[in-house]
Amino acid sequence: MFALRALQKRSSALLVLSSLCLIPACPTFPQTVDASVVDLDGHPADPFRLAGSKIVVLLFIRTDCPISNRYAPTIQELSVHYAGHAAFFLIYPIQSESPSQIRKHLQDYGYHLPAFRDPGLTLARASQVRITPEVAVFSPARKLLYHGRIDDWYVEFTRARHSPTTHDLVDALDAAVSGKPVASASTPAVGCYIPGLP
Amino acid sequence: MNSVRSICSAVLLLGAFSLALYGSASRRPASPPVSSDVVTFNRDIAPIMFHYCSPCHRPGEAAPFSLLTYQDAAKFAAQIAVITQRRIMPPWLPAPSDLKFTGDLRLSDQQIALFQRWAAQGAPQGDPRDLPAPPQFTPGWQLGKPDVILRARKPYALPASGSDNYWNFIFTTNFSSTRWVRAIEIRPGEKRVVHHANILIDRLHSSRAQEKHPGDGFPGMELRIESESFDPDSHIFFWKPGSVPHVEPDGMALRLDPGDDLVLNTHLQPSGKPESIEPSLGLYFTDKPATQFPVLLELQDDKALDIPPGDAHFQVNDEFTLPTDVQLLAIYPHAHYLGKDLLATATLPDGSCKTLIHIPGWDLNWQAVFYYDSPVLLPAQTRVTMRYLYDNSADNFANPFHPPHRVLGGNRTTDEMAHLWLQVLPHGDAVPVPQARMMLQEAIARHDVSRDPGDFPAQYNLGAMLQARGDTTEALLHFQAAVQLRPSDFIANNALGAAFLALNHPSAAVPPLLLAVQSKPDYASARYNLGNAYASLGKFDEAIIQFAEAARLNPKDSMAEANLGAAFAQTGKLAAAQTHLEKALQLNPNNSLAHDNLEEVKRLRSTPLQP
Repeated sequence: MFALRALQKRSSALLVLSSLCLIPACPTFPQTVDASVVDLDGHPADPFRLAGSKIVVLLFIRTDCPISNRYAPTIQELSVHYAGHAAFFLIYPIQSESPSQIRKHLQDYGYHLPAFRDPGLTLARASQVRITPEVAVFSPARKLLYHGRIDDWYVEFTRARHSPTTHDLVDALDAAVSGKPVASASTPAVGCYIPGLP
Repeated sequence: MNSVRSICSAVLLLGAFSLALYGSASRRPASPPVSSDVVTFNRDIAPIMFHYCSPCHRPGEAAPFSLLTYQDAAKFAAQIAVITQRRIMPPWLPAPSDLKFTGDLRLSDQQIALFQRWAAQGAPQGDPRDLPAPPQFTPGWQLGKPDVILRARKPYALPASGSDNYWNFIFTTNFSSTRWVRAIEIRPGEKRVVHHANILIDRLHSSRAQEKHPGDGFPGMELRIESESFDPDSHIFFWKPGSVPHVEPDGMALRLDPGDDLVLNTHLQPSGKPESIEPSLGLYFTDKPATQFPVLLELQDDKALDIPPGDAHFQVNDEFTLPTDVQLLAIYPHAHYLGKDLLATATLPDGSCKTLIHIPGWDLNWQAVFYYDSPVLLPAQTRVTMRYLYDNSADNFANPFHPPHRVLGGNRTTDEMAHLWLQVLPHGDAVPVPQARMMLQEAIARHDVSRDPGDFPAQYNLGAMLQARGDTTEALLHFQAAVQLRPSDFIANNALGAAFLALNHPSAAVPPLLLAVQSKPDYASARYNLGNAYASLGKFDEAIIQFAEAARLNPKDSMAEANLGAAFAQTGKLAAAQTHLEKALQLNPNNSLAHDNLEEVKRLRSTPLQP
């Protein structure tokens, strides 16, 4: 609980980074997603193609991470709220999670969102995420606008606030929807590390 | 009282908190210490994991994923390295001290370093021959098949989203006779969402009024159970993830009378999906009645809790001097979300000081009852001190208010608490045990009353104790204070009436007793006392009504029948008198009053009426 002051310091440092990210050197996703990204039937899947002209929101989750699980209602609500502007996709980056485990997970947590597996971590790397739950927001032109936490509900593993005091994903989406620059291009996420990433 | 002079000098280093690290995407395990040794799962990690992690991290238990195999651990290697380094896991609040607690989960620095190095080396598995045998767990009830299983009458539907949630379940019992309970195993239902649960005995069914419909359960973080006894049951039945049910030693069983309720208080945290919480309790009986009765000493100063917003070092103290030698069995510190640093010390008569418990980073989520490995002897005149610090700044992430608000003491989640319970047993031969218990109860009640004269239970309890040891005059003062605090409380009014009766003031006894039966018409004890008051005033018709009601409400009460018979006799209704006196003797053949009165009634009935 004594870490918060330092955390705030960090996010102000990130503000500087974020303005850097608005220049054209910002990462842009390759025109085709490699075949390691698959749907639950094992067919290659490309969330960008499916999203068409909408903003793309990739939510990295896993079946056994208690923090990403607690976010399920929030994720589902946000996806409905922004349905007109943004397409939400659940991305399961853990290689060992089977399609049947994922199907059960979707059902248990009341998800009604397309879900893809990313065992090769193609989407995870392109999104610069390392944690579940972590979110990446791309422009329709596949430019990475935001990656990081959904909000600051969790301060660290097992330690949550009563309710979040920031709404980072909402802020990023509101900016992206209105064509404004995203104020914070990245924030630190709290949750479970995705194995296989640096 | 509000000074730090009594705190052990060893722990005056407050404020020297190390800045805890926090989880973030950019934070990775520290580099391993320079070492050529490879750390392997099979040789180095598995023995630690099997002991410290697997008891909770396995299917059906509280933790969110399993840690039973190499594959399980490797998947979370980076996580494990970070959260063990920050001592977030395994959850263990007390700082190391000379006094050892049962089930200590604190990792050594060496163990933590092993996790670090293992993760940094890429989580190698190692030689299969090094792998110790996997831990064996008892499936189902941990203490074997319970003698009785009580199930919640209605599951609680925990919503998918939201913050912490507190729900209480009432378990009714209907045993034909008194049972002695040596253990209660709490199965809290879906363990992954239950943070802790504890049981209180409710002999007066005082919690039932809080349910909208019988069996529904009711919300609330803290329970206040009314008790008719000033020496209440001082047993602790507590569940937290991974806890093994506590079995009371022979002679310390809990008395469970027919009809007693058990109330289970649960702290729940939504998981992201709707959950149905359906707890059950396994009761284990013994044929050995209690011969030792622990006492719960409560230090607290909720009244002092008025924490300004932004105050990161608000301090609350309480202290209590033991009137007799005791063995300290267990300790239970309790605060809510603003609690930060919780300390309890004991200053012995020789001036030496023991840290009873020190929790430098309080986290309500991991609160627990801590049992000492061996009882701690605290001689008479030992001063027990509680010193709690609170953080009501925005830097306290657990702060329920954002931005911070003024926070007062209270029972709601958003209120704060400053409590410390000590479970003690009187020790030694210097004072007979029952007397030692009374000394403890009286001392704690006097301590409570002097700290806060507006503390109703304290006033009532002190009155009850004084009356029990024959000091009715002083008892009366405290019952009067209690009634002034809660004018319609039936227990306090009944006690006040009874005290007036004992002091031969029946006319003064009538008003409080009438109040008691008006606010609780089925209160047999108050009916009986009111009957006695009327009888003493010569109002036998009114007395008959009250005694009849008392006898109806408590059909096994021989004295109610005896007095009813006597009152009938006084009004000349000898046939009715005989019936009730005979009934009194059926219920208790040794009821000498009933016996003598019956003889007299029979004599009168056989004597022809004088013209």
